[in-house]
Amino acid sequence: MSHYALFPLTLGQILREYAITELHLTLNAGKWNYDNWGHPHEAGVGTGAELWAWMGVSEVTTVDERWSGLRNALSGLFCASLGSLDTRRTLSPTVAFPLSGSTPTFAPHELRHASLPSENVCTENLTPFLKLLPCKSHAGLAALLNPQKVFDADWHGMGIHVIWKEDAGVELKLTLQAVFNPVRTSAGKRRDWNLQSLFDRTIERPCPVANSSSVTVILPEEEDHKITPENPTYADGLAIYGLSSSSNFTIPLNIGMHWPSEHSFHYPLPPLTPVAPLSVKRTIHGTTQTRGVLSVSVTNNSPQELLAGYLEMMPALLTLWMHTLKVEINSQLRSDLLSGLKYHPPSLQSNDRLSPSMLQAVLTIPPKTTLKISMEVNKAFLKYTEHPPDAMRGWDLPGAVFFPLPQLSHDTCSSCDWERIYTPTLLVDLPTPDFSMPYNVIILSCTLMTLIFGSIFNLLTRKWVVVEIQE
Amino acid sequence: MDTQPAFPVLVCLRLLLAVLPLPGQDLLKHDHQLSSPLTSYLRLNEGLWLLENNINPYTGGAFHHSPLLLSLFSTIVPPLPIIWAVSDAVGAWALLRIWRARQGLSPQKGTRSNAENLIVSVYFLNPYLLLPSLALSTSTFENTLTLLALMFASEGKVSSALLAIAFTVHLTPSSILLLLPILMVLVSSPVSYLASPRPFHGNLKRIPILFGEFTLYWLVLVGAACIMAGGSWDWVRASWGASLALPDLTPNPGLWWYFFTEMFDHFRPFFLMVFSVHLVIYILPICIKFQHDPLYAAFLLVGVLGTFKAYLTLADPGLFLSMISLFPEVHGYLRHPIVTTLLHLHAALLLPLQHVLWVSEGRGNANFYYAASLVMGMAGGAGLVDACWAGMRIAVGDATVWAEEKVDGEKGKGKAIWWEVVQQ
Repeated sequence: MSHYALFPLTLGQILREYAITELHLTLNAGKWNYDNWGHPHEAGVGTGAELWAWMGVSEVTTVDERWSGLRNALSGLFCASLGSLDTRRTLSPTVAFPLSGSTPTFAPHELRHASLPSENVCTENLTPFLKLLPCKSHAGLAALLNPQKVFDADWHGMGIHVIWKEDAGVELKLTLQAVFNPVRTSAGKRRDWNLQSLFDRTIERPCPVANSSSVTVILPEEEDHKITPENPTYADGLAIYGLSSSSNFTIPLNIGMHWPSEHSFHYPLPPLTPVAPLSVKRTIHGTTQTRGVLSVSVTNNSPQELLAGYLEMMPALLTLWMHTLKVEINSQLRSDLLSGLKYHPPSLQSNDRLSPSMLQAVLTIPPKTTLKISMEVNKAFLKYTEHPPDAMRGWDLPGAVFFPLPQLSHDTCSSCDWERIYTPTLLVDLPTPDFSMPYNVIILSCTLMTLIFGSIFNLLTRKWVVVEIQE
Repeated sequence: MDTQPAFPVLVCLRLLLAVLPLPGQDLLKHDHQLSSPLTSYLRLNEGLWLLENNINPYTGGAFHHSPLLLSLFSTIVPPLPIIWAVSDAVGAWALLRIWRARQGLSPQKGTRSNAENLIVSVYFLNPYLLLPSLALSTSTFENTLTLLALMFASEGKVSSALLAIAFTVHLTPSSILLLLPILMVLVSSPVSYLASPRPFHGNLKRIPILFGEFTLYWLVLVGAACIMAGGSWDWVRASWGASLALPDLTPNPGLWWYFFTEMFDHFRPFFLMVFSVHLVIYILPICIKFQHDPLYAAFLLVGVLGTFKAYLTLADPGLFLSMISLFPEVHGYLRHPIVTTLLHLHAALLLPLQHVLWVSEGRGNANFYYAASLVMGMAGGAGLVDACWAGMRIAVGDATVWAEEKVDGEKGKGKAIWWEVVQQ
């Protein structure tokens, strides 16, 4: 990491300054639809901002100090409100977010994880992201990233992943994922697409410093499609276009696909079979602003029994009543299906704030079954200064995370091959005080108190006399 | 006549209520008027769950009960509704014994059966006490312990009284207000001297000794709590600190919650101090003024707690209202009993209504409930002023009689049409 010809200097400085071993930052907008879209290429698709970092314990500065510095530096670098990922949102869920590179031996490592579901991802985040690339958005695939088109997608998200590998050094992976729906944007309800129609741009030239550069198209199973330009490298249901200068494709390259025999696209009718092995729904029921029931229903779509880790990171705004935790299948209590329950109640931090509570458990989900977890929650009454300016909108709660566990049996099943799943975020409305009342309340309450205080001390101190009342 | 038919009947009814499955019990348990975060049954259960799963219940900021309650319900007996019924019965029995001690009757044999029936009924049927008890709020235990402390004090049982008040202070630190009048009752007598005030009649030198004994019991309880909590001191901050620092701003009928919801951050510590000191400031004046009748002073201080306490629930003014039945001699001298009654009625109807309008229906806002809690504060204050007035007014007696005696000696009949007692 001593020369920054390709590695972005700005990011490198941050990593050095705060001694970060592994870093993952994702900024996503929209909710990933696992049932219809399957698993993403990059697992980090939780709505909003998510940041997690593994740091070695050192004697010079504490991990928390470096974590605080890291999020402030990244928030400056990416123009995102990562600074608010403070102790109220920080946890250390090591099982769900393990080190993905090598396990360092030089120091014990600690994890810090925080997410901010209300972060809106927009152009101001994309521009600094593109600046990290050696060719910026001038050449290569990154040239396609036209903000107007990318942010019009059904789902879009970017990620920065820094992974330390013992033999190879630091690996930086910048990802940008988006889900486009050509049927929605095309005039004739057709599903034909090409780079020009998706991005308003084509690939003009590869980035000169790139060792390899390729576009991969997953081919649909039906036969009647046509892909242009023709003659890509076919492999395993994929069409691969190498973009290196030696390739035989004409530049500018406008990859596309069309269905000549199809007049207009008809969405498949429900019921659809979910693509992912697990489908998760998470809601908060309840009519009052003071309490509710958090309920999570997990469906195992595969024919095998699944073991899934369940992680709930709940800001202290919501108190989970653990004694009301229920695990049900078809309204029958099945507490045996939940094991390894670990619960950390919110803890008071040094700055008088409460950290989130963390609930982690292992669920055993029988094949083709829906498991329902529910627990009562209380919503906090906050001071008027703790509410955001748009208090009536409510608070976004981060989604729960389901993660695969190492299977105990050695027989490999295809459906066990899945990655972290994020549930959509929840919006919870907290009871609000009246924000225009501070002076009135101070005046009214103090008046009442002094009135009673005064009356009583008046009674206690004055002398009793009998007076003559004359007409 | 030593039986009061009302007592066994009411105890049976109360036990029946505890055993029968009531339809609205779940609503009652969540009601903010009936249980505060410090007394809520839900939080008690959560604490028990955390303890069972080897998690320190006091780290989470959700559990504020004393470790003694925690260990009672985790080891000796599960928190069953029947315990609340028994606690209510003990409370009513204690109230009865206080009455007998005050009337100079022997503790076992009552005579004035009608009055005793009334006292027991007023305790059992007071909605301010019955509903929190049905909601399984631990304030029921606090009330019972307060009454037990007063009962033992009235009967002159020094150690029992001091132990009971030590328990009460351990559960709710603000009950420290009642310590001085209880010590005064112990060294003098519970008999009513309201009509004939006299300087304090009792051995003042014993008070420091009794106070020492109280401190000893209290320290033993603190030590026991510490051992129960696994040797850590987290519980002090979580349970006692809560009523000083008000970390949880859940609404209640008291005056603190909205004040500190709306308070500017930099004034918060100052006003927390003011509100806490304001409670303590009543002790000395009331005890000095009612030095002839310390039981009445204790009653007035219960009224102060029932108006100004942090995390007030209806059980606190309820205890004050039920205790009024102990002092029938002052009933004729209350200053504005109708106004007070109407204020309480007004508050009791408005509080649940405005609470529902605010947090469930979403049609009102926090100010609605705040207004209702202000009415509740006025009702508490009016009751307190009433009781204070009556306790002193009774000493003056009937104005006309007093005046005629005085005036006859002076100048014969004047032009006076009537006489009135006022304060100058």
